Amino acid sequence: MLKQRSPKRYRRREIDEQIRRQRTAHEARIIRRLHGIGIPVPIVFFIDLASSSLYMQRIRGVELRSYLANAKQRYIRDVAEKLGRITAQMHRDGIAHGDLTLSNIIIDEHHSPWIADFGLSAFTQDIEDYAVDIHLLERSLESTYPNLRRAFMASFMRGYSSIVGREYASKILEKVREIRMRGRYVVREGA
Amino acid sequence: MKRFICLGIESTAHTFGVGVAGSDGSILSNAMRVYKPEKGGIHPREASQHHARHALEVVREALEKARLEPSDIDVIAFSIGPGMGPCLRTGATVARAIAATLGKPLVGVNHSIAHIEVGKLATGCRDPVVLYVAGGNTLITALVEGRYRILGETLDIAAGNCLDSFGIAAGIGPMPQPEIIAREGKRIHSLPYKVKGMDVSFSGLLTAAERLLEEGAAVADVALSITETVYSMLVEVLERALAYLEKSEILLVGGLARSRRLVEMIRLMCEDHQAKLHIVPDEYAGDNGAMIAWTGLLYYMAGMTISLEESHVRPRARIDEVDVRWSP
Repeated sequence: MLKQRSPKRYRRREIDEQIRRQRTAHEARIIRRLHGIGIPVPIVFFIDLASSSLYMQRIRGVELRSYLANAKQRYIRDVAEKLGRITAQMHRDGIAHGDLTLSNIIIDEHHSPWIADFGLSAFTQDIEDYAVDIHLLERSLESTYPNLRRAFMASFMRGYSSIVGREYASKILEKVREIRMRGRYVVREGA
Repeated sequence: MKRFICLGIESTAHTFGVGVAGSDGSILSNAMRVYKPEKGGIHPREASQHHARHALEVVREALEKARLEPSDIDVIAFSIGPGMGPCLRTGATVARAIAATLGKPLVGVNHSIAHIEVGKLATGCRDPVVLYVAGGNTLITALVEGRYRILGETLDIAAGNCLDSFGIAAGIGPMPQPEIIAREGKRIHSLPYKVKGMDVSFSGLLTAAERLLEEGAAVADVALSITETVYSMLVEVLERALAYLEKSEILLVGGLARSRRLVEMIRLMCEDHQAKLHIVPDEYAGDNGAMIAWTGLLYYMAGMTISLEESHVRPRARIDEVDVRWSP
């Protein structure tokens, strides 16, 4: 499969080129690392930086977003828990996804999740970055399936805690709450 | 059907505004006074004193322009939040006094929702992805199952606040100055471009731009770099939201809707996605009383009035707390 980051007309060329090249190179690097520790991600075969393109493995499946529209309750629980485990492993390895939404998670025929689109990801030790992943996932659920959010996130966190432990999981949830409260109406002092 | 009339009071930040709207969708008046600090940025207490000083004359002006008597008013609305506590309290106090004096019902309107609803009214758009960008707010939202769901927002400061702060630090003044000076810029400096999902972060970018100024970079170049970077980030997350929700309309509201360059960029993005772009007219882009009056009517007709006792302001109110009962 060819994944190409095409130029955006709305961005000035200098900014656009830098972003596309940076994200392409970065995605390839992160995927290699995640593949190495056994996280289900599509493998990158070849990078063409000049055209900001990646040739990568194609995952057969559907986006989590459309999967949730039809799947049975117990499958959903199972998928959420598996996704929680995968996300925790990724975080434990010092990687935050940066765009963990329902359209960047693929569910294969065995009801197993794969994670894709690492253009916004980061090597990081900051718990805030991991919390942002969980926040993004939760909000993405909320904006498409508000009624599924609670149950899905509960299963997700069960899987997540099973890898990082209860204590760390509740610390991260505290951070998620903090992030949700931020950004509502913030003006820098004296401005 | 009887036409209801609402008087709406806005006092979230700089602006003390009073508008009058009719339930047939007419805006009958939109009066305001804007607090301008002598130097630097906004000081909430000073702003609230400004609002208190001008409250009466603005209410009077709004009624005169609408050619109405106080007894013609059916409902009083005010901005309940989000915003600066002292400023909000001034508007709420005025609204309570009028409601109690006239014996009319009171409505506490969510400020962010008011920006969107007046945009919908003025442009006629139906089911948009909304970008709300202003001095204190940066939000991407859409109506999903009866609430404005937050798809993306700032993780720290608002886009408008970032550009205003930069302008003040550079000695050129707040928006639109940075954008005007940017037109003379020639060189783009690389600044932190921080996007997470549909969220954005501007504080690192602001610090980096201020550092460039300290190092002696040309103001026009830094102004060009910061405006282009901030707008690129906004349009990118907006594009992602549009694709994510599979919608075909975009509505731009808030003070930054007056930015020509931002509008130009969003227009290009919309063309590429065959989406229709709606922009709130200038007079309703910044904070104003008319938007509170119109949204107050929507609340009122959906039965969402409040008693005096529960009318305390909510500086950190969220847009997704409100049941949008008036929309299908």
